[in-house]
Amino acid sequence: MNFRRKLLTVFALTVFVSVGAVAWIIANVTRRAFERQDEQRTAALIAQFQHGYNQRAADIARRIDAIATSEAATRVALSLSHGPTEAGEYLREASPLAESHRLDYLEFLDAEGHILSSAQAPAKFGYIDSALHDLHALDGKAPFLKIEELPESTALGLFAVRSNNAADRPMYVVGGEHLDRSFLSSLELPQGMHTALYQVAAPGFSAQALTDPGPNWKPLDALAPLLAQAQSSGREASQLIHWSSDAAEDETLDAIPLKGEGDKTLAVLLVSNSRRPYVELKRRIESAALFVGGAGILVAILLSTWAAARVTRPVEQLAEAAREVAAGNLTAHVDVTSPDEIGELAQAFNRMTTELLEQKDRLVQTERVAAWRELARRLAHELKNPLFPLQLTVENLVRAREQNPQMFEEIFPESAQTLLTEISNLKAIIGRFGEFSKMPQPQWQRVDLNQLAQGVVRLFQAQFRAGEPTAINAQLELASDLPAIAADPELLHRALSNLVLNAMDAMPQGGALTVRTRPRAEGVAIEIADTGSGMTPEECERIFTPYYTSKQHGTGLGLAIVQSVVSDHHGKISVHSEAGRGATFLIELPMNLDKLSSAAAAPPRVEPRT
Amino acid sequence: LRVQSRIAPTSLDPTDPSQPDTVARRAISALVFDTLVTTDARGLLRPALAVAWQADPGNQRWKFVLRPDVKFHDGSPLAPEAVGASLREANPTWKIFPEADAIVIERDAPAPNLAAELARPRNAIVKRDSDALAGTGPFAIRSFTSGKHLTLAANEDSWAGRPYLDTIEVDFGKTGRDQLIALDSGRVDLADVSPDQTARATTGARHLLTSQPVELIGLVFTHDAQSPEDRALRSALALSIDRASVRHVILQSSGDTTAALLPEWISGYSFVFPDAQNLPLARQKRAELRQAPTLTIAYDPSDPFAQVVAERVILNAKDAGLTLQTTSSATPDLRLVRISLDTADPQLALGQIASQFNLAAPRFASSSSDAIYEAENAALQSQRVIPLFYLPATYLLGPNVRSVRLSLLGIPDLANTWLGAPPQ
Repeated sequence: MNFRRKLLTVFALTVFVSVGAVAWIIANVTRRAFERQDEQRTAALIAQFQHGYNQRAADIARRIDAIATSEAATRVALSLSHGPTEAGEYLREASPLAESHRLDYLEFLDAEGHILSSAQAPAKFGYIDSALHDLHALDGKAPFLKIEELPESTALGLFAVRSNNAADRPMYVVGGEHLDRSFLSSLELPQGMHTALYQVAAPGFSAQALTDPGPNWKPLDALAPLLAQAQSSGREASQLIHWSSDAAEDETLDAIPLKGEGDKTLAVLLVSNSRRPYVELKRRIESAALFVGGAGILVAILLSTWAAARVTRPVEQLAEAAREVAAGNLTAHVDVTSPDEIGELAQAFNRMTTELLEQKDRLVQTERVAAWRELARRLAHELKNPLFPLQLTVENLVRAREQNPQMFEEIFPESAQTLLTEISNLKAIIGRFGEFSKMPQPQWQRVDLNQLAQGVVRLFQAQFRAGEPTAINAQLELASDLPAIAADPELLHRALSNLVLNAMDAMPQGGALTVRTRPRAEGVAIEIADTGSGMTPEECERIFTPYYTSKQHGTGLGLAIVQSVVSDHHGKISVHSEAGRGATFLIELPMNLDKLSSAAAAPPRVEPRT
Repeated sequence: LRVQSRIAPTSLDPTDPSQPDTVARRAISALVFDTLVTTDARGLLRPALAVAWQADPGNQRWKFVLRPDVKFHDGSPLAPEAVGASLREANPTWKIFPEADAIVIERDAPAPNLAAELARPRNAIVKRDSDALAGTGPFAIRSFTSGKHLTLAANEDSWAGRPYLDTIEVDFGKTGRDQLIALDSGRVDLADVSPDQTARATTGARHLLTSQPVELIGLVFTHDAQSPEDRALRSALALSIDRASVRHVILQSSGDTTAALLPEWISGYSFVFPDAQNLPLARQKRAELRQAPTLTIAYDPSDPFAQVVAERVILNAKDAGLTLQTTSSATPDLRLVRISLDTADPQLALGQIASQFNLAAPRFASSSSDAIYEAENAALQSQRVIPLFYLPATYLLGPNVRSVRLSLLGIPDLANTWLGAPPQ
């Protein structure tokens, strides 16, 4: 990942995390605020329910009091005290009284709890109300919740018990009101709230026991765990219920157990708070966060692009300039566009290239002087050898002419021969220097390197045998699958000949000379190995330097010529040697077949060979 | 005579099957229409529009000689053709032939009780014109407002002699409460009241007139018992019902509890069918069942008495561990049914009950009591019906009503009733 992408990623992450964190904090604060509001609204509603409950309880107690002290109740009580009577006499007593006192439930019970008359279930005469265990204890007490057993069902009601004691034995009046939808509808509900009443009739959840469920409460079975928790604990329970996949339909439900005699939970008041306002606000926050986050990321991209451009463009220029320097262009220059660290770096780079250029110039100058000195030294050395005999021979001839003319005549031919020989040597030395300075460009043609190697070895065959018994044993190890390459056969012949001559010079006592060829992945290779005196590592490093020689009578140009030929063929030459263990020269040449087409188009070389 | 009735008939035709077959309806019908034969207070057949009758050997062909000089209310004579047309309307399968001053009835099978059959109100002789009915009874229809009011006028030419009363005004569709108020205020002279109203109704200056128990109330299963478990369930239900409490409290000791189809006064043996509640045995039978399905029970929602009885049955069944649930469905498991007997003949009465309870028609080996018992016992063994009560026909009379007698089947004889001065 480059610097620009890193910068962009860091910017985007920073914006994203920042916006996300802010949105999360806002959402949490909002949720807590809504939860507090829900709690307050639920508490207010429960208080309202309790107030209404108390008011209705007081009203029921008042009405039951009135019935218990009524003439009708007194008549029934007195009639009971007069001994056995037709029970049917009381059968219809309760119903009109319940109607006139607007009671849903009204029963007359004897002292043992047997129903004498029931408004809500006339057929229950003679039965004992199992929910009223101790009428005497309930007499006069505050109204209480009770499950009323009806012939085919049960119903939750708010009941009061009052006695009529006009006779010896009390007669009880038990009556009340149904706790139903109308009771709940008297509550003033804020928007988004709903109340329902669940009557605990039997173990397990029964949808029929639920009065006035909310319009979205589907399926009702979802209420079962909450109701079970409220019933089992006897305390208020709360649960978030998801009515559908739409979170706006979610509701927080509070279940408040309503208890009857014996602290038994008879019903559960359900108060629901819609989460729609919270969810919609949360969605708005999320949308805003997404919008801000998206815009932030966009800005981050633009900013990072701009910043990266400002930071990385000089760096990239520096990198490009460094690559140019590495490629040898010491004139590479970087524009200094800012006064910051990047600018300082650019200035330092420019100073570096300037100094490198100056150092190079100095080095070239130094090397050039050294080369000239070496050349002068070599020339002096090379020229001094033939010049000294020339000087002696000329001095001998002068002296002989002056002192002994006869002797002059005698020595003149021999001295003349010596002079010619040394002059010939001088010409040879000058010729070799001239030859090196005039290395021709390769004339490309298809060349069989095996054939070329065989020709070179064949050329020196006589010299290999000349030194017997110190003869040189030449061996050819040529690869049969060696491909033909494009090369100049004459230049290659000269290079190989130089290497063979060097090998012969390295083996004055005889030895083995091996010439090997082998194909390579991208060309061919040829090795010339000898078993001569070998070279030190330092000699190996300098051996291709022009005018360097390890021999007493060498010009130091042989291997330089070889390297020049190999280089002109885009190849590479190397040497592996250890002192006393011979040397191996390896020439690696590419195929250069593309040169054949250009060679065919190029005009032939007209430069004469010497 | 001013009469108030609980029923609200839309037709006075005694053969109209759409009208509930009640004692009150028959009482109205008996004022207007006569039958060929009638039943006296001892249950014996007496001549009415027929003065004599005779059956051929085998009891398949009967001949009824018509009373001479009898006229319908429209003045037309009681001709054999008119009698035949009336009887064919009520009995489409009968072969009826006029023969001089008589009619001949041929049945496909022996009909030894045909004379008693003709004493039933549904076989009253009715002359049907396009939109009017005419009978030969002691009163003629003066005006009729469907379901609301009927005015009858004395038939001056009644073959049984002119009735004492000149007119009878009948108000229909009155509740027991309305009737009591009307009686107390002197606006009504006679009212047919529900048996459960009798104790309250007998207070004050009212006079109660009660017949023999003629109305059977029972629970009828819609289907035959399908399995031994079903039979056990029905037995448990029958054993769980506390008939005595209902009679004591709701009926205020009027009427009879019963587990028989025929009333005691007709069969003489109904006591052999135990009707007492046996809750332990009911619970035991319930416990033997793997599961007891919830049974649905239907009753006439306009009948308060039926509602209380049904609710009491539900409570009793609950005590035995059975669950009953009321329903308004047309196909309940159980139906609370009321049947008013229209004949005192035991075989005909059992046939009527079987027909109205949708039981198999009873088969009688002979006309003996044993044969009737066998037939009734077989009907009960089918467990299609649980008889509960036999109720009397009950009337409240105003203080100035004189000489009202009831027939065996609870029909008041208003032809011989007269109005006197109220007692001081």
